[in-house]
Amino acid sequence: MRDDGRRARIMAAVAEQDAAAGPGELLQRLCRFAVEEMTLSGCALILMSGAESASLLAGAGRHASTITGLQMELGEGPCLQAHASGIPVFLPDLTAENANRWPAFAAAALAVGVQAEFSLPLTGGLGGIGTLDLCRDRPGMLSDEHLADALVTADIARDAVLYQPYAPGGPGVAELLAAVGTDRIVIYQATGMIAAQLDDTIANALARLRAAAFASGRSMYDIAQDVVERRVRFDE
Amino acid sequence: MSETGAGRPGGSGQGDPEDPVAREAVLARAFVRLADTLASDFDIVDFLHGLSADSVEILRAEAAGVMLADARGGLRLIASSDERMRLLELFELQGAQGPCLDAFSTGRPVQASAADSRARWPVFAPEASGAGFRVMCAVPLRVRTNVIGALNLFRGSDEPFTGAEMEIAQAMAEMAAIALIQERALRERHLLTEQLQAALSSRVIIEQAKGMLAEYLTMTADDAFKLLRIYARDHNRKLSAIASDVVNRNIPSAALARRPGPQP
Repeated sequence: MRDDGRRARIMAAVAEQDAAAGPGELLQRLCRFAVEEMTLSGCALILMSGAESASLLAGAGRHASTITGLQMELGEGPCLQAHASGIPVFLPDLTAENANRWPAFAAAALAVGVQAEFSLPLTGGLGGIGTLDLCRDRPGMLSDEHLADALVTADIARDAVLYQPYAPGGPGVAELLAAVGTDRIVIYQATGMIAAQLDDTIANALARLRAAAFASGRSMYDIAQDVVERRVRFDE
Repeated sequence: MSETGAGRPGGSGQGDPEDPVAREAVLARAFVRLADTLASDFDIVDFLHGLSADSVEILRAEAAGVMLADARGGLRLIASSDERMRLLELFELQGAQGPCLDAFSTGRPVQASAADSRARWPVFAPEASGAGFRVMCAVPLRVRTNVIGALNLFRGSDEPFTGAEMEIAQAMAEMAAIALIQERALRERHLLTEQLQAALSSRVIIEQAKGMLAEYLTMTADDAFKLLRIYARDHNRKLSAIASDVVNRNIPSAALARRPGPQP
């Protein structure tokens, strides 16, 4: 995506207030820009090295944390495929057949009012660093203009994550990661606790947590919270 | 190091240098090699040895060397067409004068006859002459305003480098500079991606290990984290490696609860 004019326009839109904004603020503004420019109901910048580590780094719109949380909790969804393949995934209509690749995600997203979902990989050399997910509360493909903006926005976000921390005086990777939403931590800890309770692997513990969430209709985060606070055990 | 692999610069050894068509073909092949930095086993020293060898062949020079700026901005010899050059270049560095340094600091090509060089570089010139070199030129390794080093060429004869030859030398040097800068950026990006992925993964596994220890040893997650840190420090290993061993049961949780020490 070589489009310096488009890149310059988007950069101008997100950098207008103060040039000294840190990478976290820039990423937040990028998401807000995307939501406004493309009339989205959510824009989420998701960092991941694998399905389990998917974390919301920045987001805007009422569905941003929902689509991130759903994909991570369900262990399926377009962002995992976009990240793994390096190829964008477009689901302009979650009721359509191609969304059946992720039946649980499509059903859960529709249930909270998300009708269209687009996931763009943030590629950084060997493998990617995550995705930029866009969603809407109405079905329909992004216009060519919006799609081009979205791809450039993803590039800017990627560069901000990969390069800005190393600018003189900027924060390092560790500080950037510290800004990542901490709600996942509860799930990671609970998974470790469940694995100990069942004397089983982490993968099986995660599957049990996911199954419990599915069966009870509660979120994985809520159940994890109960596990961490020792209100719920899995070996009883 | 003298034998360069396929796909890298390094004397094709074909074609009569006096035949313009053959020379063009050699030049074209050299440019293709200069553009090829994406090989997984790319090596800067090999690459610049190739540039030296190619420029000697194409520009009918006797010797060539490539110097790159080090972190402090000083020039260092990275590759040369033969070992005799190395002494000269080292001397050039020590004396802080010579064609390479001029090309590097001005960002412009430099050419000098034996007489010119005596006037310009009083310390360097006698050494060059002593080594049998009479005509010399240097072109910057430059991408726009970014100069990263210089390519130095020497002839034993009095025949100056023609304008066309200087342009070829400059084009080869620029091509090499672009390749080196791209390779540097690519390497940096790979490294950052890896660091970020490792940081993300280790965050997950450390939290999982905290939960596991908290459960096995009936303690808070904070206390579990302290045990992980102490164990990692005592065994001089990374926190994420210990966490991974805990999660995979390679280290029994009880081992972390014991009074830590290098000799348990």
